Amino acid sequence: MVARVFGLKGSIMKLKQGSFLWYLYLDKLYCLLSVRNVKALVEYFHLLDVHHKKTLNGQYFHVLFYHFLHHVTDLTRNQITVVFNMLDWNTVGEIGFDQFYMLVCILLAQENHLEEQFIFRHSRPVFELLDLDGELKIGPDHLHMYNFLFNIKKQQLRDLYYNFDITGDRLLNYKEFKLFTIFSMDKYQESQKAEKEKKKEKAVLKKKLSQVNESQRESLLGIQPFESISNYNC
Amino acid sequence: MEGKPLKASAKSSSHHGSGRSSLQDIRNMWTTATLSQPKLNVQLPTVREDSELEDVSVSGKTLWSYDQKAGHDAEGGWEASDGGEDKDSFKPEEPEELELGGDSSQGSRLEEDDSKTDNEKPSSVSSLNISRHTPHRAYWVEQQSRLPLPLTELMENEALEILTEALRSYQSEIGRDHSLTKQLQRYIEGLKRRRNRRLQVLAV
Repeated sequence: MVARVFGLKGSIMKLKQGSFLWYLYLDKLYCLLSVRNVKALVEYFHLLDVHHKKTLNGQYFHVLFYHFLHHVTDLTRNQITVVFNMLDWNTVGEIGFDQFYMLVCILLAQENHLEEQFIFRHSRPVFELLDLDGELKIGPDHLHMYNFLFNIKKQQLRDLYYNFDITGDRLLNYKEFKLFTIFSMDKYQESQKAEKEKKKEKAVLKKKLSQVNESQRESLLGIQPFESISNYNC
Repeated sequence: MEGKPLKASAKSSSHHGSGRSSLQDIRNMWTTATLSQPKLNVQLPTVREDSELEDVSVSGKTLWSYDQKAGHDAEGGWEASDGGEDKDSFKPEEPEELELGGDSSQGSRLEEDDSKTDNEKPSSVSSLNISRHTPHRAYWVEQQSRLPLPLTELMENEALEILTEALRSYQSEIGRDHSLTKQLQRYIEGLKRRRNRRLQVLAV
């Protein structure tokens, strides 16, 4: 309900095609940018750091940060505000490069369907981001509020709190959250494996079909081409 | 010899699918050469270009310069020197780090042997030599610790668009006469001038 009120429910975020971030990519294993990508990102950040404070300011309705996200994604104003508040973990009203880097990794993870992997690999920082109140526990509202970033589906959320809330307080501490990330990662890898095998089977089937078609065509024609010439000569 | 030609961003964008199956095309945006270039003894004129993006009063000026020094190593060529803060961030990468994206999962390593360059020039260079090497300037810029030119252009164009929109917000929210608005306006103009200058250089 909270998410609905803030206009946060809805489709998952998409990066604008052809934007600078769109050309970056995460390492699939560690879900981090390569050094070269980081270097490019630093340059990009410096270009946006108009006031030379090494931050994107949050004053005046976090203008620079808002326009940046608005330009490169399809996030709404409310969603951008939520993201800003999430990243401004020092509550200074500005986003430094560390937070900017974190945001870019999250955006790229989502864009490349690596959410499970990303949350698994970086469970601690993600947990700390979600722990808005600093109570070292996160409730279902927190997760649901950031659904557009982390793409945790409703069913997953239910499973999460049903299966992993070991302490029974309807909140997840870090250990419980970590267990959840391990579990989702396992599930994700299994589904990837199953998909790969499906693709393999399809490829094998295709090959067999084409071979069968080939042999059928030959049998329809009756004789091989070189035989027809020799018959003619005779 | 010269490396692979830089591909325009427009080409890469058409290959991009939702499943990111065209990572190879993205990599084409980047240089395929390693940074471990042979020493550059090619003489190029020294040019200093102060960044006009910043006020005089603001610290941390960025001075873009390129010097040609005899026996210069691969880091030479273009250098970005500022107040000292960002210098470390522009350290050249090790050749291994040029492997784009993930290692085992992404696979292909983009490298290029470009060692056979003409690097035996005397220090006093004729204008003819300069003009002969001028077309290669963009190439050498990329071979150093700078970003590939298409990517730099893309970044600057996008930053300009974002900042122009931000300027409108600044003007409506805090007024045209506010110092921050004026600073942003000057910055945008400086960025445009720098971009135009670079385009002129490339057109030569």
